[in-house]
This record gives sequence, C-alpha cells and structure tokens, in this order.
Amino acid sequence: MNTIIKVKNISKSYSRGLLALDNVSLKVNQGKVLVIMGPSGSGKSTLIRTFNGLETFDAGEIDILGIKINSNYDERRIQKIRKRVGMVFQQFNLFPHLSILDNITLAPLNVQKRTRIDAEEFGMYLLNQMGISMHAGKYPSQLSGGEQQRVAIARALALKPELLLFDEPTSALDPERINEVLDVMRKLAQDGMTMVVVTHEINFAKDVSDQILFMDSGKVIETSTPDIFFSNAKHERSRKFLNQLDK
Amino acid sequence: MHTKKIKKYIKKIREILFFNSLNNFLTILLIFTIFLLSLQSFSWFIFNSKWSVVTTNIPLFAFGTFPESQRWRPITWIISLLLISVLSIIPPKWKWLRKNLLIAWIGMIPLGIFLLYGGLGLQSVMSRNFGGLTLTILLTICSSIFALPIGIGLAFCRQSSLFVVKKLSSIYIDSMRAVPLIAVLFFGQLLIPLFLPLGLEIDRVWRAIFAFTLFVSAYIAEDIRGGLQAIPNTQIESAKSLGLNQLQIIRFILIPQSLQIALPALTNQAIGLFQNTSLMSILGLVELLGIGRSILANPKFIGQYIEVYIWLASVYWIICTILALMAKYLEKRLKIA
Amino acid sequence: MKGDKIIFFQIIIILLLICLFGFLINNLIINLIRTDLGFNFSWLLKPASFALAEHALPYSPSDSYAWALLIGWLNSLKVIFVSLFLSTILGIIIGLSRTGNNVLLKIISSFYITIIRQTPLLLQLMFWYFVGFLGLKNNFINFTNLLKINNQGIEFLGLSLTSEFSALIIGLSVFTSAFIAEVIRGGIISVPKGQWESFRSLGLSERNGLIRVIIPQALPAIIPGLTSQYLNLAKNSTLAIAIGYSDIYAINDTIINQTGRAIECFIILLLTFLILNLLITNLMETINKFINKKNFLY
Repeated sequence: MNTIIKVKNISKSYSRGLLALDNVSLKVNQGKVLVIMGPSGSGKSTLIRTFNGLETFDAGEIDILGIKINSNYDERRIQKIRKRVGMVFQQFNLFPHLSILDNITLAPLNVQKRTRIDAEEFGMYLLNQMGISMHAGKYPSQLSGGEQQRVAIARALALKPELLLFDEPTSALDPERINEVLDVMRKLAQDGMTMVVVTHEINFAKDVSDQILFMDSGKVIETSTPDIFFSNAKHERSRKFLNQLDK
Repeated sequence: MHTKKIKKYIKKIREILFFNSLNNFLTILLIFTIFLLSLQSFSWFIFNSKWSVVTTNIPLFAFGTFPESQRWRPITWIISLLLISVLSIIPPKWKWLRKNLLIAWIGMIPLGIFLLYGGLGLQSVMSRNFGGLTLTILLTICSSIFALPIGIGLAFCRQSSLFVVKKLSSIYIDSMRAVPLIAVLFFGQLLIPLFLPLGLEIDRVWRAIFAFTLFVSAYIAEDIRGGLQAIPNTQIESAKSLGLNQLQIIRFILIPQSLQIALPALTNQAIGLFQNTSLMSILGLVELLGIGRSILANPKFIGQYIEVYIWLASVYWIICTILALMAKYLEKRLKIA
Repeated sequence: MKGDKIIFFQIIIILLLICLFGFLINNLIINLIRTDLGFNFSWLLKPASFALAEHALPYSPSDSYAWALLIGWLNSLKVIFVSLFLSTILGIIIGLSRTGNNVLLKIISSFYITIIRQTPLLLQLMFWYFVGFLGLKNNFINFTNLLKINNQGIEFLGLSLTSEFSALIIGLSVFTSAFIAEVIRGGIISVPKGQWESFRSLGLSERNGLIRVIIPQALPAIIPGLTSQYLNLAKNSTLAIAIGYSDIYAINDTIINQTGRAIECFIILLLTFLILNLLITNLMETINKFINKKNFLY
C-alpha cells in the first residue's frame, strides 16, 4: 500500500521558546482517514497546515506524495504539493468577489490550464455531487454556512487532489448545518479519498476514521484505532479530554 | 376623519421640528432665513438676472474654440464614454463584452486622441483649440486611466518585501501627498520642458495629464493600500492552498478585492480630479472654468459673475452627483456579489 | 527569490533610477546653460522690487527676495491657521446638525454638504471674492463703525481685513467645513448604538451624554480624518493666487515671472510644504497623544 504522508520528527517553536509542535511523527496510507483530535491550542491546526506549506517548521522532514520538504522553505516543492493536495478551512474562505462556479474553476483554469468548457463542466458535476448546483451563479455571501462549506469542498476537489486536508470544517457552522457537510465527507471517505481531518465531531471520528491521533501541547499523546481510542484510551489526558467532550 | 389626520401631522411635525425650546427657536429662525433668502433670490432671478451670457456661449462652454464644422467629433467621443460607463455599471448579458470592458476603457484614450486631434483623414485640430467641458473631460479621463494602474502598482510596491522598492515607493507617495496640486501642475507646465532634451516637446494638454497622473496615482496608491490591508490573510492562504502562485494571487484575488473595498475612496478621487482640472485655468488652459473666466473678461459680459458662476457650479455639481450616484449603485451591486 | 538574487534585483533598480535621473539632470543642465541662468540662490538677496498689499512684518519693494518669501510664508500661515480654526467650528456645527434630531437642520446641512463638496474649490473662491466682496456696495454693512463689511473687506473693532484675505478665509473655511462635517458624522456613527441607549437609560441628558459618552469614543475615529483635512486645507490655501492674495505660492510665482528662477523657486516651495506638513502632523499627533493619555473629557 502506498504511503501518502510520512512525517518524521518535526518540531516548531514560537518565540519565547514555546513549542507549537514537539517531535511529531505520523504516517497515512492511501485511502485512509486520519482524524486529529485535541484541546484548542494543542497544535493540531499547526500540524495540518504544515502538510501544504501554510506553516513552516524548524526541524524534521515531511514527505507528501513522495515530495520531501524540510525546514528550508522550498517554494517550488511546496507549490508542487499544493497542486495535488486540497484543503478545506474552518471559515470556508471562499472568494467573495467570485461567483460559486468561478470560485471552483479559478484553480483548474489557471493552475492546471484546463479549458473553460472542461473546467466548468467538471465544476458543475462537483456542485451536483454536493447537491448545490442550483447556486452556481450566486455569490458566497448569498449562501448559508453549510452550503458555503460544501462549495469549499467542491473547490478543493476541482483540482482532482490525491489528498484532502480538513481544518475543523464544521466548527463555524450552526449545529443544524453540521451534518450536511459531514455527509459529504463520509461519502468522500467511502469513495476512497485519503483524508486528514482536524475535528471535534466524535461520531464522525468513530464512523469514518481509520486512525485517531490525539495531541496536547504540541506532542502526539497517542495514536490508535477509533475503537480503542473511544472505549479504552491509553492515556490519562485522552480520557480527560473525551470526558469533557461528552459533557 | 380629516381632523384626525391633521392632528397626526401636527404631532409628527412637533416630533421632528419642535421637540424642545432650543429646537423651537432654531426651526423658526431657519424657516425665517430660508424665506427671506428665497424671496431675494427669486426676485433677482426674475428681475435682475441676464442669462444671455450663458445661452449665447453654450458652444464655448462645451467645446472651447473647436472648429464649428468639427464639433461632432468631441460629441461622438463623449457619447461613447457615456455608453461605456453605463455598460460598466449595468453589465450587459453578453459575456464577451463584459470581458472586454477593460480593453474598451483603455481604447477610449486613442479614440479620444484620434477624434480630437484629427489626422488619418480627419481635419487636424490644434490642442490650443480644445476647451470647455471637452477639455475638462479629456483631462479627467486620460489622467484617471493612467493613474489607476500606476496607483495599484505603487500600492503593491509599498507592501513589497524588497527594501529598495518599498522605500522608493514610500518616498514617492508621501512626498506627492505633501505637495499642493498646483505646484505639481506648475511643474508639469513650466519645469518639464527643462528636463527634456532639446527639440523634444510635449503638448501642453499632455503635460497637464502627466502632472495630474503623477499626483493622483499617489492618492490612489494609498486608497488601494487601505483596501489591501482590509483583505483577510485567510483569503491569501486559501488561494495558496489551491496552488495559485504569487502573481496569480495578486491578479485574481488581491487586485479585484482591494478595488472593491477601495471603490468609495476611488470615487472620491475621481470626483476630486474632475473638480481639480479647474486649476488648469490658472495655468493657462481654457477648460470649463477657464472658459468662464475668459467670457467674464469679455467687455460685453462684464460684471455678470453670478450668472456664470451659478451655471458653472450647476454643471460641476450635476456631473459630480451623477458620478457619485453611479458609484453608489456599483457599490451596491458589488456588495451582493 | 533567493537572497543574492533579491539584492541583485534591487541594485539593478537603483542603477536604472540613477540612469534616468542622470539623463533628466543632464538635460536640465544643458537647458540652464543654454538660457544663461545656471543654478544658484544668490539672487535671494537682491531687492524684490514688487509691492505687496498684505504683509505681517514691515515690507517695501527694496527688501530682498528672501524677505518677500518670508512675508508670503507668514501670509500663508495666517490664512491656514485662521481657516483651520473657523472650519473646525463650522464643521462641528454642521456635522452635529447632520446627526441630530431636527429634520430641517438635517436637510439644510446635507444640502450644504452636497453643494460644497460637488463644486470646485477654485470656483467657490472666485465666487466669494468677485461676488461676495467685490460685488458689494461701498457701505454694505456699517454697524456704528464697529463692524464694516464692504468691497474693501471687513473692519471689525479696528482690525481691518482685506477683501482678498476675507474671501480666501471664508472660501477655505466653508469648503473644508463640509469635509470636516463628514468626518465628525463618521466618528459619531462609529460609536455603537448601544452606547446611546445605555447613557439614556442612566438618565443622562442628550447633551451630557454626547459630551461625556459619545464624543470621547468618537474622537479616535475623528482625529486621523481631521488631520488629513487640515493637511488638505494647507495645500488648498495655495489657490490664493487666483484671487490675488500674496501667499507663498503666489510670491514664488511672481519671482519666477521676474527672474526665471523656476527650479530654485520650486525647490523652495517643496521645502516650505514639507515643513508645513511636518508641523501639522506633529501638532495633531500631540493632540492625539494627549487625548489618548488623559481622557480629558471624562
């Protein structure tokens, strides 16, 4: 089986000597879903953002799809990674000045240099999959949060990525809107997409993930399968965290 | 029934005009003053004003001394400008036209030069015959079309990580903004010829456009910079995560969004520029205000200041108000977008 | 880009700029030699030999050009600071009228603002001068010799102002006040509505609430806007030349016409305005610091 992500001992320190990432290592195989959990400020967002070069790190090495990056910020390699890795953000981050369809076709047209007909056709196909093709001509501000997040997923998929990164994709949504996004993510996982998801959604983690990584203050506390993590977590801190989530 | 309605009105009037003693006094004083003023101006308007100074000189106000047989040329140019502004604000259904609006705007400059100066089959006209509203519009349109891209460029340079680029653009922007416009225009008219090699001469109108462009681009740069600073960093991050490179991020994300944010400020710059072209009347061009001044210097119309000034003020006011309204409409449309 | 590439690129830019400036200055030198003018400032000490109607210090045509420039500089300062004061007061009144409850006042103030802002300042100045003062009769207002307003200007308690000065002050103040009014309005609007509701619920009167609650919170938004309006006022004062008031720009213009020393005069003008800008910005920064530190209105 192909390894998509291999992280070897990466560390990152903020000023004042605080460690954002402390000797983190992990591995994700093709078609697998890794869920990263942990209290806020534990470094999980920082970690996922190093995978496509939005965040630098000071030591260690990351291998994404066979492209190696290290503490020397090599822009060309990162650019190569970004073309093959999609990312979905907490705040959707759609481009407010572009229509929904233009949001989706922007990268295929200009990064992959596809033809407009081709890009728009594939964009409409994706919107259809997300169940929001009727909004194609509208602008982001006219859509609900859940719809915007589905557009953001479609935008990430438009480049036909080999890996999808989700940074707390449901945290900014109204509670009744969360499931429409999670359902889309479930379907992607079933179709065999390799995914890394930072989330607090326990049910999603239980059902979908192949592996759970629990972090606290920049360290990996434990890595286990969802069955073990949720019924019988090894670590005191993991259990404490799960207890608090349950409340 | 009627008394009820009247009572309601009285109550309403009390609420908005006479709600305490200070305001009672103010309202009565204002009504009295307005009454007196309108009576005075009305009687002046009916009995004392002589509008022939305006009506007989309408062609001068519009075209300056542009040859009478050739007036269709500035008219054509101004109409095409109006047309393209309307098209920019109310977007047409045809996508190809929307895509080419920018090119059409840039094309307005060569079209204007061809129509006004002549050549290529048209009778050629010297720039000293340009004047009136035509010249005012020529100065405004050309300067703003040149100044916008320069201003955008300066704004990005000022944000640049290259020390030299950043410092140089800061120095340029700050010193341009410290100097009065008339000094820059003066530089354009009297000093530019000194900096040019012997034999190379630039038309006075173009020296004015050059000076206005230098001046306005510094102000535009600051407005755009304000827009750039208002764009959240997450926009750049999500563009990066899609694999767009730096130039593509600037072109597809930063420029359109900063223009949209800066639109109200840019509108004020355009209105300011339109008004400030009147400064050229001190430096020897007969644009709209300059024509007014030269007409007032004519012994035939001596002393008819009020009529001429009211007429000029109305022309400026109407055009500026239309500009402001169009920008408001565009802003509203973009907000939905 | 890599480090050495960046430095190389910047050096290229500097070299290109040096070439451009070298070319321009070379042309300038050739032109100055050709017209037999050269470049120096020794003419500053020669007698100016033009009269000035307005001077704060003693002046006669036999005084030097340098002295004439100083007189112009003082004339400019006089106009700027008087208009700064008047326009602020007028602007506050109009800005408050525009945000107040009296509908008639609201209508009049927005009418005032649109008329003033949508017509050129130069036209307004000419209006105030040619219609507002020169159009007046000899004895337009004569209030027992205490206040006289006529085509010669304004005389008030023995203080006499020329018609040029008066027209310039009125024109600049009226023009700037419309912009200041908008700054004031913007500042007041920037204070959240809840603040109005909460001072009312505490039983404070409208006036007290405005002074003690709203304005202190609006000031941080107002001061920067006010600063840029004051800077504009200073720059706009150079339009004095259109109505024959001898400010610094007008005097530079006269000197250029007499001596042909365009480059030198332009440099003097630039320096003047650099100093003036620094003066106003520093003044406003001091005021800003004072407000932020002491919260003197509380």
